[in-house]
Amino acid sequence: MSQNDFIDRRGFIKKMGGALGLGAMMAAYPWLGALAGSDSDRKCRLAIIGCGSRGCYHISFLKDNPSADIRVLCDTYEPALDEASAMVPSATRVSDYRQALDRTDIDAVLIASPPTTHCRIALDAFDAGKDVFCEKCIGFTIDECLQIYRKHRETGRIFFTGQQRLFDPRYIKAMEMIHQGTFGKINAIKTYWNRNGDWRRYVPDPSLERQLNWRLYADTSRGLMTELACHQLQIGTWALGKLPEKVMGHGAITYWKDGREVFDNISCIYVFDDGVKMTFDSVISNKFYGLEEQIMGSLGTVEPEKGKYFFEEVPPAPAFLRLINDWEHRAFDNMPFAGTSWAPEVAASYDGHYILGEAPKGDGTSELLAAFVNASIEHRQPANIAEEGYYASVLCLLGDQAIREERTVYFPEEYKIDYHPDYAQKIQS
Amino acid sequence: MKDTVITASRKRRELIWLAGCIVAAMGVNIYAIASYGAPWSEFFTSIGYVAVFGIVLYVATAIVRYVVYTLLRFTKKRKSISTQNHL
Repeated sequence: MSQNDFIDRRGFIKKMGGALGLGAMMAAYPWLGALAGSDSDRKCRLAIIGCGSRGCYHISFLKDNPSADIRVLCDTYEPALDEASAMVPSATRVSDYRQALDRTDIDAVLIASPPTTHCRIALDAFDAGKDVFCEKCIGFTIDECLQIYRKHRETGRIFFTGQQRLFDPRYIKAMEMIHQGTFGKINAIKTYWNRNGDWRRYVPDPSLERQLNWRLYADTSRGLMTELACHQLQIGTWALGKLPEKVMGHGAITYWKDGREVFDNISCIYVFDDGVKMTFDSVISNKFYGLEEQIMGSLGTVEPEKGKYFFEEVPPAPAFLRLINDWEHRAFDNMPFAGTSWAPEVAASYDGHYILGEAPKGDGTSELLAAFVNASIEHRQPANIAEEGYYASVLCLLGDQAIREERTVYFPEEYKIDYHPDYAQKIQS
Repeated sequence: MKDTVITASRKRRELIWLAGCIVAAMGVNIYAIASYGAPWSEFFTSIGYVAVFGIVLYVATAIVRYVVYTLLRFTKKRKSISTQNHL
């Protein structure tokens, strides 16, 4: 099976049913070009640094990619290495990432370790001449994020971040429709990610608590903002094509009072220059609403997680049905007095339309990893992808700062990079 | 159990009733389109609903006709018995 069989670029675009065709899609979202596949016989030789749940998730896709060759597995926790080794038995196991970087038969590293380690590993990897795929949030501080981005630019090495929605067909199609103006002016974006669980991992020995449950402690985790919000904030800026000016928020531990230090209940408001707001809410003590991004325009709404969109004006039922309905009411309604003189504005109830014509499958991870492998083989950094990843990480760290400091935080000028996507203009031209 | 014979004239009669019911349903569709100001393309796009309504109408009229026919037959029988008794 060749790389071109593995990811069928035209099939991928066809799946999105893009009316614009390949050319317009590539112009507006240039990172899709990385899905072109490679004519080279070379493989991307990879080291996976961090073999926990996320690392193993990536391995599950990469091991089936004929252009990827996982050579090294790195983790400080043996059971994680055991699990990863079971998937790639031929890979060498190491506990120090520098052992992977020292190898000349490694082209690229995939960093899926805790965020406090990302900056050190990424910078060292760039200096060692390796291409880098770094899971979000790319840095533990905004300064670290900038360091990583600058090192990528200085060294010219390939840099991808774990923003798989950039390659998810339903998100690409949804953005195409948004940028075409199908839903009118976008005036609000409401995102939320709710779960019901303590977020704890099994710890065989109390001494391993902080190592394995790093997500729960302030010195190793930024909590829900970096672990969950990152993806959804990136969707907001992608839809609007700009950054928010400021952010405010609040967090608390309202339910899981088990000694954790990160909040289990947070809410953030990002405000753009024109007053449009993007919100992020997350509780991990109720999963009824799950996760969604509700992108609300004057003509319609998109909910990409469900894979659906809805128009504000719903075409009426056929006249024949309306007449039968009226006759039925006249014949069988048994309330002779007048009904309510007003009707409350409850949410419209109609089923909407599938963005891709069917329920969504996959989440873009397979395509994202394939694009990274292609980019590494071809030594070609796709446009915008590093910048989108950088800003997604910075935005979630700003939100975390606003929550912790309980104040409105303005986007610092010194952390803005030279990046001005104009998706709407490119789609409409 | 007796054999049931459906004559050609009975079949013709029922087909005419069915056709009449479907035409009536089409008439209702035309009336609905005119009343609600809907596009005339609905004459074709609502054909499924019209067909179902026509069949429902046919079944309803068939039931009414059967009841009427049965009542009439019963009344005729009673009249003929009472006439015979007078004789």
